[in-house]
Amino acid sequence: MDSIDLNKLIAGEPRTLARAITLVESQNPKHQRESKNLLKHIFNLKKSSFRISISGAPGAGKSTLIEALGLYLVSRGRKVAVLTIDPTSPISGGSILGDKVRMEKLATSPHAFIRPSPTNLHVGGATNRTREAILLCEAAGFDIIIVETVGVGQTEFQVKNMVDAFVLAISPLSGDSIQGMKKGILELADLLAITKNDGESESLAKTTLHDYRESLQFSHRSDQWTPPIMAVSSLNMTGIADLWDSLQKYFSFKQSSGTLEKDRLDQQVIWAQDLFWESIHNRFKPKIENSTVQKKILKMLKSKMNPEQVAEVIFKSISN
Amino acid sequence: MSNLETWKKAAAKEYQTASIEEMNFLTSEGVTLRPLYTEEDLKNLPNIDSMPGLEPFMRGPRPTMYSKKPWTVRQYAGFSTAEESNAFYRKALRDGGQGISVAFDLPTHRGYDSDHPRVKGDVGKAGVAIDSVEDMKILFQDIPLDKVSVSMTMNGAVIPIMAMYIVAAEEQGVEAVKLSGTIQNDILKEFIVRNTYIYPPQQSLQLVADIIEFTAKHMPKFNSISISGYHMQEAGADSALELAYTLADGQEYVKLACARGLSVDEFAPRLSFFFGMGLNFYMEIAKLRAARVLWSEIMTKLGAEDPRSKTLRTHCQTSGQSLTEQDPFNNIVRTTIEAMAGVFGGTQSLHTNAFDEAVALPSALSSRIARNTQLILQEETQITKVIDPWGGSFMMESLTNDLINRTKVLMEEVKNAGGMLRAIELGIPKRNIERASAQKQARVDKGLDIIVGVNKYRTDEETSFEILQVDNVTVLKNQVNRLKAVRSNRDNKKVEECLGALKNYAQSGKGNALALAIKAVRARATLGEISSALEDSWGRYQATPSSLSGIYDKMFLNDPSWKNSMDRVKKFQKKHGRRPRILLAKLGQDGHDRGIKVVASGLADAGFDVDLSPLFSTPDEIAKIAIENDVHIVGVSSQAAAHKTLIPELIHILKTKKSSDIKVICGGVIPKQDFSFLEKAGVGLIFGPASPIPTIVEKILDLFE
Repeated sequence: MDSIDLNKLIAGEPRTLARAITLVESQNPKHQRESKNLLKHIFNLKKSSFRISISGAPGAGKSTLIEALGLYLVSRGRKVAVLTIDPTSPISGGSILGDKVRMEKLATSPHAFIRPSPTNLHVGGATNRTREAILLCEAAGFDIIIVETVGVGQTEFQVKNMVDAFVLAISPLSGDSIQGMKKGILELADLLAITKNDGESESLAKTTLHDYRESLQFSHRSDQWTPPIMAVSSLNMTGIADLWDSLQKYFSFKQSSGTLEKDRLDQQVIWAQDLFWESIHNRFKPKIENSTVQKKILKMLKSKMNPEQVAEVIFKSISN
Repeated sequence: MSNLETWKKAAAKEYQTASIEEMNFLTSEGVTLRPLYTEEDLKNLPNIDSMPGLEPFMRGPRPTMYSKKPWTVRQYAGFSTAEESNAFYRKALRDGGQGISVAFDLPTHRGYDSDHPRVKGDVGKAGVAIDSVEDMKILFQDIPLDKVSVSMTMNGAVIPIMAMYIVAAEEQGVEAVKLSGTIQNDILKEFIVRNTYIYPPQQSLQLVADIIEFTAKHMPKFNSISISGYHMQEAGADSALELAYTLADGQEYVKLACARGLSVDEFAPRLSFFFGMGLNFYMEIAKLRAARVLWSEIMTKLGAEDPRSKTLRTHCQTSGQSLTEQDPFNNIVRTTIEAMAGVFGGTQSLHTNAFDEAVALPSALSSRIARNTQLILQEETQITKVIDPWGGSFMMESLTNDLINRTKVLMEEVKNAGGMLRAIELGIPKRNIERASAQKQARVDKGLDIIVGVNKYRTDEETSFEILQVDNVTVLKNQVNRLKAVRSNRDNKKVEECLGALKNYAQSGKGNALALAIKAVRARATLGEISSALEDSWGRYQATPSSLSGIYDKMFLNDPSWKNSMDRVKKFQKKHGRRPRILLAKLGQDGHDRGIKVVASGLADAGFDVDLSPLFSTPDEIAKIAIENDVHIVGVSSQAAAHKTLIPELIHILKTKKSSDIKVICGGVIPKQDFSFLEKAGVGLIFGPASPIPTIVEKILDLFE
């Protein structure tokens, strides 16, 4: 891979940005060194954006919501980058990335950049490179970054630590009762969007909206923000402007209260920790997977030692 | 000991098995074929005493079947221009053809005029381009529309096409009441397979109902829908899936028309069907027999009283998917076997494919052989002398009954999902068909299913024959000029008025789209204008392609060469720091996505990162996605001959965007003659139809080593 031309990246050339993201995602050690070098420059640029994540269960209408919001923003002169994360098959390691198919119009806009990335679930502590990709998009002049994650679970907690606003998309058709929703995920949300407020599902969307408003209490948020709950239709583009207004309000709220700066700093702490664990993992992985060590493990297990004891012995011998 | 028991013992001994069950064969439909059927199997079969022309019509829709008049030879054809098509139809009619069958080009299907910027690679490909009633008048010049029945394969742009047909007849002096023929008008299957829709499902169904209503009132001799399973089979459905979803579609249309206030017997006799005929000989015969029984039951439940409403009449076409590029003359034999299955099953009309259709549009020679296949069956054999010759066969009667039962299970699944429309919205039929298709391909790739000349008995001998070439550039130019002339010689105020009425209709849902479109066509509104008038409020529907995975993984679990490929992928990953990433793209208006989905599923299973593109993309759009996703390769699938225009354009755009390191490869229906053209244009690899997935994986990896 040729090295990345920083000027072209800053000029917002899509090809350069795309290749820069590939570089930071690469697992090749040479690329990783180049990537560190590149990121050093990027950090110094001190560019910023409004970072938003949109999460929700499969079928909640995340992609179409991003398409609607993205088109709205693009029409108002904003530059929008969308980063989507697709699950990787645990068997073959391959992925099928189909997000752009659901953001067909936004995908063709010259003011939008959409990059789907496979999760590449490696074993252990390795994290994906969404944070780095966000910085690269900012360097390329995108002022709104939207991160889409698939499914509700572990990834949401990770993504929460990468963005300024966490939007949870909820489908009225999903039959998700509030009790059924994972409580922890609801508490992450800075804004809840009930999707598909149109056609046949309109009345169900209204009911869902009502239910959520009635029963959700966000009293224990330390920042005093009350997450708004609203119904939107990506199909008819209704509620999209309201959604954006609320997001902006939240952003200004965070700026004026100082939480934006504080959160971003906290996020960097976590980022640093993640990288720490990752280097620990990378350093010890070859040692533990070494064939003599493997044989040793097997031998100990056969001699009736239990896995806990085995781990202790191995840890001691490796860390010395 | 009974005779049967004695045979079982003898057979087990000869087969060298302890259990005779080992000789059974489980078909993809989930029906067990046994090596021997006996009189025992006929016991308790419900329709064993039924008669042709009488309910439940298992043995045929008419009492005399071919003994009086054989099936109609109906060859589907459409050349690029109205003039060429017209000449072809007139010759066919002179040669004894009884009806004509029109194939339209893809822009027409999708409601675009030929001068629309999205469609320049597709005009005149795979059929005739129709932009205005002037084109339609040329198409039917000197063909008496009160005498010749016209079958039109149209689902997306049904409204403007029906209107243009009616107005062309009117200007010929033929009233609508005298018109006979069929419009396919089966939009539901477009959402399951093939994808030549325009509007979202609900609105599309409204148009279907408008046509049923209009024809019921004004065109008593015209078949308002041809409910089609053919395209499902082409997309990989087995016979049970094809039957179940086709009949469920039919049921949905009947309910729809009833909801409009029509009584069942007012329109049901004008519903017709269209099935595919593949190589599973017994199953295909059983399929038509089963279809008639099931339809008769369904219609009785829906309140039909007129026996004609309960009769399933069908057109059949031999399977295009069974044809091979390799050793192509074998296709003549395959088509003959499939045609015989249709005939033994009791079809009302038949299209036999030409042997070169796996690679191109049929030439004059291949078309003649295809037609003669049917004439030989009709006139040189004595096949037509006996009605339902398989009736009473121990095997055929059991198989028909088994297939009926299997189909009912699948229809029950649709019912439990909340009806066919809901099942389609949930993607149930699509998923089931895609799974069947990927499994079938994996079986062929693994050599479990044999295809002579492809995965067994291959020959190195090249078969050469003439291939029809379409001069897309000239066709496009002529269409654009004719459109200009139409637009400058009309009363634009009148046109605006008519289109305004259609826009109101789309907003309010009041009135009948066909009646309004007829007025617009009289005023010389174009096909694209009429389509857009509705699209303004309804939008253009975009399905979400998805893909299955895990099928190749399972099938090739212990295959050494597959393992080797996966190891090579891992090596690639180590070297490049990521997996090979490929964008699979459909360019232009061709919606056939069976091939690309099988490839997506196979490559993901081999460890590739696979990006899917939206259907109907332009080269510009694909280039943007390829660059942003930073893929190593773009794989273009082409089924409808637009590859010579659109692929070079894609390569050119990538070059201007300084991204020529992204390799472009292609596959699909691409004739050998075009290979060197494409290679010169910079295409890295070209895969013909039915290329095995493991080979595709290997060759792609070769590109990078």
